[in-house]
Amino acid sequence: MKVSLNWLKDFVAVEASPESLAERLTFAGLEVEGVTRIGSDFKDIVVGEVLSVNPHPNADRLTLCDVATGRETVRVVCGAPNVHAGDKVPFAAIGAVLPNGMKIKSAKIRGEASFGMLCAEDELGLSEDHAGLMQLPRDIPAGTPLVDVVGGPDAVLTIEVTPNRPDCLSILGIAREVAALYGLRLNLPSIQFPETDPSAEGLKVAVEDAEGCPRYTARILKGVTIAPSPLAMRLRLTRCGIRPINNIVDITNYVMLECGQPLHAFDLTLLKESHIVVRRARPNETMATLDAVERKLTPDMLVIADAQSPVAIAGVMGGVQSGILDTTRDVVLESACFKPALIRKTSKTLGLSTESSYRFERGVDIRGVDWASRRATALMVAHAGATVAKGVLDCFPVEPEERSIVCRFDRVRDLLGIDIKNAEITSLFEALALTVVDCDKKSCTVKAPTFRPDLEAEVDLIEEVARMHGLDKIPAAAPHSRFVQGVNDAFIRATITCRDALVGLGLTEIMNYSLVSEKLLVLCDAARTGQRIAIPRPISADQAILRDALLPQMIETLGRNRSRQIAEAAFFEIGRVFFRNDQKAYTEEEHVAIGLMGPAGRTGFEKRSATAEADSFLWLKGILEALCRKLFIRVDERPAGRDQPSGLAFQELTEADPPPALYDLGCFEKSRCTVITLDGISCGVVGLVRETLRREWRLAEPVAVLEMRLAPLLERVTTVPAAERLPVYPSVARDMALRVNNRIRHGDIVSAIWKIAPKELTTVELFDIFTSNEIGIGFKSMAYSLTYRSGDRTLTDDEVNRLHESIKDRLRSEMSVEIREG
Amino acid sequence: MKAADILALKESALGEARTAGTAEALEQVRIKYLGRKGLLPEIMKGLKDADVSERPAMGRYANELKQELAALLETRRAAVATASADAATEAFDPTLPGRWRALGARHPISRIIEDAIRIFDNLGFTVADGPDIETEYHNFDALNTPAGHPSRDTQDTFWLESGQLLRTQTSPVQIRVMESRPPPVRIIAPGRCYRRDTTDATHSANFHQIEGLYVDKCVSMADLKGDITCFARRMMGADVKVRFRPHFFPFTEPSVEYDFSCHVCGGKGCRVCKQSGWIEISGAGMVNPKVFAKVGYDPEAVTGYAFGMGVERIAMIRYGIHDIRLLYDNDKRFLEQLAQ
Ligand SMILES: [Zn+2]
Repeated sequence: MKVSLNWLKDFVAVEASPESLAERLTFAGLEVEGVTRIGSDFKDIVVGEVLSVNPHPNADRLTLCDVATGRETVRVVCGAPNVHAGDKVPFAAIGAVLPNGMKIKSAKIRGEASFGMLCAEDELGLSEDHAGLMQLPRDIPAGTPLVDVVGGPDAVLTIEVTPNRPDCLSILGIAREVAALYGLRLNLPSIQFPETDPSAEGLKVAVEDAEGCPRYTARILKGVTIAPSPLAMRLRLTRCGIRPINNIVDITNYVMLECGQPLHAFDLTLLKESHIVVRRARPNETMATLDAVERKLTPDMLVIADAQSPVAIAGVMGGVQSGILDTTRDVVLESACFKPALIRKTSKTLGLSTESSYRFERGVDIRGVDWASRRATALMVAHAGATVAKGVLDCFPVEPEERSIVCRFDRVRDLLGIDIKNAEITSLFEALALTVVDCDKKSCTVKAPTFRPDLEAEVDLIEEVARMHGLDKIPAAAPHSRFVQGVNDAFIRATITCRDALVGLGLTEIMNYSLVSEKLLVLCDAARTGQRIAIPRPISADQAILRDALLPQMIETLGRNRSRQIAEAAFFEIGRVFFRNDQKAYTEEEHVAIGLMGPAGRTGFEKRSATAEADSFLWLKGILEALCRKLFIRVDERPAGRDQPSGLAFQELTEADPPPALYDLGCFEKSRCTVITLDGISCGVVGLVRETLRREWRLAEPVAVLEMRLAPLLERVTTVPAAERLPVYPSVARDMALRVNNRIRHGDIVSAIWKIAPKELTTVELFDIFTSNEIGIGFKSMAYSLTYRSGDRTLTDDEVNRLHESIKDRLRSEMSVEIREG
Repeated sequence: MKAADILALKESALGEARTAGTAEALEQVRIKYLGRKGLLPEIMKGLKDADVSERPAMGRYANELKQELAALLETRRAAVATASADAATEAFDPTLPGRWRALGARHPISRIIEDAIRIFDNLGFTVADGPDIETEYHNFDALNTPAGHPSRDTQDTFWLESGQLLRTQTSPVQIRVMESRPPPVRIIAPGRCYRRDTTDATHSANFHQIEGLYVDKCVSMADLKGDITCFARRMMGADVKVRFRPHFFPFTEPSVEYDFSCHVCGGKGCRVCKQSGWIEISGAGMVNPKVFAKVGYDPEAVTGYAFGMGVERIAMIRYGIHDIRLLYDNDKRFLEQLAQ
């Protein structure tokens, strides 16, 4: 809402500077977003009459004008395209200072002397308009000070009016607030106009939908002359953001800005059978609105119709067919009140928001409807030569009652935490034009006027006290700890622990948008489209689907970093994914994804060596194992005991055993990924990104990624570890080197060892793995260190050797391995 | 053997001792000449068989050999020890780059949320959570924002086919928590929210909020001011000031917006705060009794305050980030700069 300060002063004699007024309003809940100063006192600027216009001898675009200034005739060189003999334009004499600081001096322009300047609106600080000279009414005598024509300096306040205050979408509403804040009187203009026969009854008005239109008034004005409205009115409209059109339309807009009541003017002769019907649109009805768009109407829209067809979409926009034309003589002036929800819906459906619909949506003052009509009528009499038909057609079946609200003084003090006297409270109400009745020591009753629909209950009155008294007068209470029965936030706190652990492992956290492009998801995994949740009418193709996995954006993020010369990265993301479950219901759950690119994890010179597939994978696996340890999930190659959870394990992805549907398997190289299981339940996938996908982002080196559900990972985070006795007797280590076929995996060997292990075997550790000519093609050497310890005595060398040999023997006999000696 | 032979032996012994460069070589020299089975004990053993006229000189020379070689070995040993220590010192280069593992970095948004959780922990708040896919009831209706309410306009909503929506604010968590338990309630609820905003330097289709709610007997606006001020100082620095402006939200009454004093200029006015000295943070207010009625709380028995804050906004102010998109761009260099 733009408010001209000069206009505001018509209603309340406020003296404050625009800036201090802006601050005061902001702290009363009317946030002033900007203050624009306009014009000046225009010293030495007068109305000039252009007597003649001649071409400049040396410049095509300049003219030589002789201008009468009231005292003399001077020669001015002018560059404006719209200068004609007979024009009345602002003339700045030598010595005048324009609002932008420019000082007018006599000058030679392209060889011709110029003694002053003819001004455009922007040069006078009146608007941004620089299309040409400002054209003034021709009936103003030359030499009239410009300030008498356009008014003195003004300021426009741009105010953000919150949706609860429709009354403040008007100069009058703001003036009421200003009056209350500064203790000033509100001045309303007196409205008087003569009425003549015949009466307005010649027009027939029928309101068919009284719920949609609780009040409809119409006046008839005859014999109007359509012309531009007075300059002062046009300037005010422009300042408040409305383009002047003609006197009748301008007056309806002027009064709307003044009191917040949108008005509409019809050409009476264009209304078929002088009939106005307020009704719902009929199926398949259409109408061309004033913006020249053919609109399809539906029965949930309210229209103003004549005997045949709609002439306006109620409260939104008028129709072309019955609008005011230059030839209009007789006018029907509509001032009405429409149901806010109805207008809002219509405006939304049509995608058409107007100054009018904006106000009706929020609610206009049903009691102010006729005031606005009379105000506009008086102005049309004054500025359009109208004669007014007697009376007004006023369909107003149910007069609303003013709401009575009880306000308890103690409640005010308790809720705000301030000490304020009863009398102060009631005087704040009275300043806001609220009537206080039935006041006693404990409470008072307040009558809320109809222009304040926001005042419904006691708490609304308390808000009035808060903002009028001043929020700054409410003390900030010393914060105190208060422990109430809390909500269960174990999961959120566990997530923080998990994040701590991942950061501690050297990973950098990323955050991606929840909305992603379908293209990316399909690129990564085309198989899962059925379960994804698409956004109806997405803003852009980039944000069209709710992500059902974190991996696509993880890989994309690695690629984006790679394209910026970042060769190494270790990222993780914790975020929600969304999908349809088996019953098609929307489901969301927390996932964690990790991605490694380049020599992430290594230090120093190790980074120079190229990243082998296995390296990348094992670094990632190591991170997962460390994370699990941190979260008290068992990580052990030794098989779990009977009452022990199995903890972290990996399960091969096989065609026979279909993979869990939750993960983007399409991201992985088929033979380079494995399912993550926690305590036997599969809950994620870890592996290498398939080469064809890497190529999309020119990721040349292996990229290892994992994604898993977060909840199972956090299940044991609150475990309190129990202290166990440390071993008393020393342990003894024995090594063994095996020559094995490449098909045999470390896991096979370790589980075989543990299967046959004597109870003294404590740890099995792989410490070397290599291939060589001596070992032979298709074979590898794997060296293990086994430690033995007894809980009740020191083991002798002989005992240990015997145990170690028996393991070797059984390995030899049970697996096709060869024990390498020496 | 003659005396002259001993002299010659002495020369070669001393010569070898002089050229021996390591402690081991010196030891070899000692063993060769002075050891139990060395050359000198040999000579001494053979002395009794030598010519009588030669014997005194031989004895003297042998003694000299023993003394001088021992002394020389001693000196040489010290010299060699010093030299090898020097060599090791030379080889030790403390200016080589240190070896360290990457530190890792929390995303600034998580960091702000975790800091907020810690700050409100001290005041006795627990952390609540709710779904991103919400019902219209929790996101709007229960928050006194029925269909047709103009406030719905300012929160252009992602509606889903099911009639559900992506929550436009974390406020529905207030409703979920109050529905699930009797008062008192003291929670914060961080989470992701969505609005149909076209992404630009200050807008993002998803963003994070932290909701706060305190409901009890006699909670007042003074408590709200106190707690938000406490949060501001802990989050942004001890000299941050907070100011409150009246505003409107359907689910609080009275409603306020609050600003922090500009941390860049300290309130004097600068480009960051558009010369105002203040930076707008978010909204708050006293819980509207209509909301209490929806969740079955008695508005006469309890009062409460609620606040929201934009996490991206706080992150941008705290770290001097000029474009919200940087927070979702995930450039490693950017994230590492902000590692705390
Ligand atoms: Zn600043």
